[in-house]
Amino acid sequence: MKNKKRLLFTLLVLVTLIFPSASVFSQDDKIELRIAWWGSQTRHDQTIAVIELYESMNPNVDIVYEFSNWDDHWTKLATQAAGGDLPDIIQHDYQRIQEWVGNDLLLPLDPFIESGVIDTTNIADASLAGGRVNGVLYGFNLGNNSETFIADVDAFQQAGIELPPADWTWQDFEEIALKLHEELGIYAIGGNLHLSEHWKGTYISCCNAYAYNAEGTGLGYTEDQDHFFVEYLEMILRLTEAGAIPTIEETLARTGTSVEDSYIVTQQAVMEYGWSNMLVAVWAAAGEERNFVELTVPSFADGYPRNYIKPSMFWSISKDSPNAEEAAKFINFFINSVEANEIMLAERGVPVSSAVREALQPRLGPAQQAMFEFLGVVEGYNSPIRPPDPPAHADINNNLYGPQVIEPILYGLMTPEEGVQLLRQEAEILLEQ
Amino acid sequence: MADTALALPKRRVGKRSRFGENNLVGYLFISPWLVAFFLFAFIPMVASLGLAFTDYHILRGWNYIGLDNFHRMFYDDPRYWRSVQATVKYVLFAVPLRLVFALAVAMLLNTKRRGVALYRAAYYAPSVVGGSIAVAVMWREIFGREGLANFILNQFGEPSVWWLGNPDYAIWTLILLAAWQFGSPMLIFLAGLKQIPEQLYESASIDGANGFQKFFRITLPLLTPVIFFNLIMQLIAGFMTFTQAFVITNGSGRPLDTTLFYALYLYKRGFETYEMGYASAMAWVMLAVIAILTAIVFRTSSQWVYYEAQEGV
Amino acid sequence: MANITNQPTPSWLDRETARPTISWYQHKTVRALMYHGFVLLTTLVMIYPILWLFGSSLKGPDEIWTNQAALIPNDIKFENYVNGWKGFGGISFTTFYKNSFIYAGLGTLLTVSASAVVAYGFARVKFVGRRFWFGLMLTTLMLPIQVQIIPQYIIFNKLDWINTFYPLLLPRLGGQAFFIFMIVQFIRGIPNELDEAAMIDGCSKGGIFFRIILPQLKPAIITAALFSFYWTWEDFLTPLLYLNSPDLYTISLALRTFSAPSGSTDWGAIFAMSGLSLVPVFLIFIFFQRYLVQGIATTGLKG
Repeated sequence: MKNKKRLLFTLLVLVTLIFPSASVFSQDDKIELRIAWWGSQTRHDQTIAVIELYESMNPNVDIVYEFSNWDDHWTKLATQAAGGDLPDIIQHDYQRIQEWVGNDLLLPLDPFIESGVIDTTNIADASLAGGRVNGVLYGFNLGNNSETFIADVDAFQQAGIELPPADWTWQDFEEIALKLHEELGIYAIGGNLHLSEHWKGTYISCCNAYAYNAEGTGLGYTEDQDHFFVEYLEMILRLTEAGAIPTIEETLARTGTSVEDSYIVTQQAVMEYGWSNMLVAVWAAAGEERNFVELTVPSFADGYPRNYIKPSMFWSISKDSPNAEEAAKFINFFINSVEANEIMLAERGVPVSSAVREALQPRLGPAQQAMFEFLGVVEGYNSPIRPPDPPAHADINNNLYGPQVIEPILYGLMTPEEGVQLLRQEAEILLEQ
Repeated sequence: MADTALALPKRRVGKRSRFGENNLVGYLFISPWLVAFFLFAFIPMVASLGLAFTDYHILRGWNYIGLDNFHRMFYDDPRYWRSVQATVKYVLFAVPLRLVFALAVAMLLNTKRRGVALYRAAYYAPSVVGGSIAVAVMWREIFGREGLANFILNQFGEPSVWWLGNPDYAIWTLILLAAWQFGSPMLIFLAGLKQIPEQLYESASIDGANGFQKFFRITLPLLTPVIFFNLIMQLIAGFMTFTQAFVITNGSGRPLDTTLFYALYLYKRGFETYEMGYASAMAWVMLAVIAILTAIVFRTSSQWVYYEAQEGV
Repeated sequence: MANITNQPTPSWLDRETARPTISWYQHKTVRALMYHGFVLLTTLVMIYPILWLFGSSLKGPDEIWTNQAALIPNDIKFENYVNGWKGFGGISFTTFYKNSFIYAGLGTLLTVSASAVVAYGFARVKFVGRRFWFGLMLTTLMLPIQVQIIPQYIIFNKLDWINTFYPLLLPRLGGQAFFIFMIVQFIRGIPNELDEAAMIDGCSKGGIFFRIILPQLKPAIITAALFSFYWTWEDFLTPLLYLNSPDLYTISLALRTFSAPSGSTDWGAIFAMSGLSLVPVFLIFIFFQRYLVQGIATTGLKG
């Protein structure tokens, strides 16, 4: 008897589920846009507020949004791509956009600029460059970023060391790091000096080259330039030995820790490596009374500037979007509307429109101000941005660089020379495919 | 009616002589599963098998490449073997630990004492947190510099260690996590224990049996179907462990690939570099291995598993 | 007391020796104390991480990372719960709870009912191909879901079920291999005699299922229901792929989208909501406990 009841109940509930609770009001005159982004709670809240603002100004548009964290975003997008079911507007990333363009999944955005749907009068060409693949614009820059060492001003003061200038070198850094550690007893920097960004950055800075060549078919530096990265790694080993930076064990054990738990916030390190828009989160976590500034990443002596201006993320439009023009209009609003940007306050990076930047000035908190200042400094001292990474980069970064090169080197199982050679060998193979 | 029934020999009554009827009934009963299987599971399984022989890239499409994926896996991919190593090591320790804890605690909680419901909930609690973000943070905290694990280590005079970053210790944090989450097999053991009739124990007591004898002569034999089930399930689950490893190592399998579980590596190949063809090949290799192991356990089961209802598979 | 058995009176029951001579560790209260003491201690060890979770959920942002080891915060902040509940994007946890309950509750109902039916077929009915289908069913457990996601998504997309609960619930009408296998094992533990007796009385296989087997399966069904509920409650992959609108998100999914490494995260809120999400599972567990407790009193075999 119990099961007959169960059966009945099941059927009843199924019937009520026939009307799915998704937003399916078939209002034919409304244009529906789907948009997907990754981020954290703050970004979700802000972006939704902007969307609602847009909808209130454009009542014929209904924007359906999806958001997740970084990993889930890409897992979902890949699945949707395979299923032919991509959202109209996709938040994209410099690292991945090349691959998506190569597989014909995104729509070129130049036509919308030419037709005036997207207004770029206040946007420098350099800001758009990062979203171009083979000269065609596929991703619209949502905010400028650059690599930075976030520095705790008070700690520097306490140690009696002056803040370094924009063109400081790795030698300067080593000296300062050792001194900071000596004076304050904490780490000079919180770790993350082993990431592949530094590999790429080394070749930008030492040799005006890049890790990859322009076509993405091979490495962008020659064998006799290997030694630069070797020197960099040896510096890391020295600093680890001296206790000025955390060991690889410690760094790996702490991967994935949030901003709130980072050493610079908990005052166990004086500096922290990251992207410039991270400062907002860092300052918020650390508290108002702290003082931070953003420093450039050290360059190689007699070399070129290490920093380059990079789009933090893009809005892209999927190739088969039925409402591409409307999507473009939304992008235009997002980039150029002062009201929208007042909600977001540069959470995604420094806005690319100079008009917006000016309008935001009075509203900027100390973190945003520091960030804007920093980008200003970088504008005066930078190397040009390189083309987006080739598709093989994901493979090289996740499967070769990390576990087979960097980790063995830093755990002492391999010398830097051996490691760099292995990297060259294997990366070339992967890039040729 | 009962009289005539008693007159018949027992055996013949049990079987239907008309095969057709049993077939229909049988298929009727399993029809829900059959339908769902063909609608939702069959195609994905066959598709993934087919894709294993291609170079399917999620964003691009596929080309037939024969056995290349398998060749690469076995000969050209050092990470593959490391993932096998990590997984085997994990299964070797985590599965027995889990089963032993589960049975021990189930026996402990198989009682009518007061408060036992709360205790059961408490022992089940760890399993409920599963592979959530919360467990990742908790585990990182417990195995962090100032955490409980190092505290205990210090008590034994050993220096503190960065557990999650140490190539020798990192996998133990995951093994311990698995052992900690023994709630599911424990519950199943509990249900199995509940199925053993009280009278058996009572009769044994009257006959003068002690605790040990009761356990080995009554409990264990009657529990074998459930042990069998738990063993197979935990083996399968152990080999396919993904979420916990993903969440705690942040999807990387660091350090030095010592925590690169097979399912994790598979996911990375499938969704980080989009090499879904290769990932499918990996998946089917794993399926083959698990299937063989399971078949072995099934084969040997007639030796050690005792069913009340004497019917083999 | 009359000697109702024919055994000699044990010495400790002998009337002449008024005091029972048992060792102290056999004494009822001592045993109770030992039991509870031991179990309590090991319980604390087991749930320490969860205690930590709840403790941290009460910590303010300044303490969460700086005072990590402490179970009890210096400064108790209940507002983590309030803030966490607000969720994000205007969607509060009320919605997420509702969605999780629909998914887990209905999902469990469907899964367990179907699994029991299917299990009976496999366990008690001899039919051609039984072994084959059973083996096939088991192999579905062995193929990692990651490689099935994409074909499955394509199927559901073609059916136009994306952004609904259909992909999450309808496949469960076929039961799930884990539970089918589990219930099969339990059914095998039930002696055949009752079945046979019922068949003599002219009962059909179906009748046997409903009248004889099912009542005896209670512990198994309850266990299956508990598992199914909690696994479904936890599952985020299927909701991630098939539920696009955030107002359909389940708790498991919502918690994942809360944090990002480079953005600000309200960890107190996450811990608070994570802790809270454990509560329903617990309550259901405790509530259904007693059904697990009732075992099989008799097998009905006493003649």
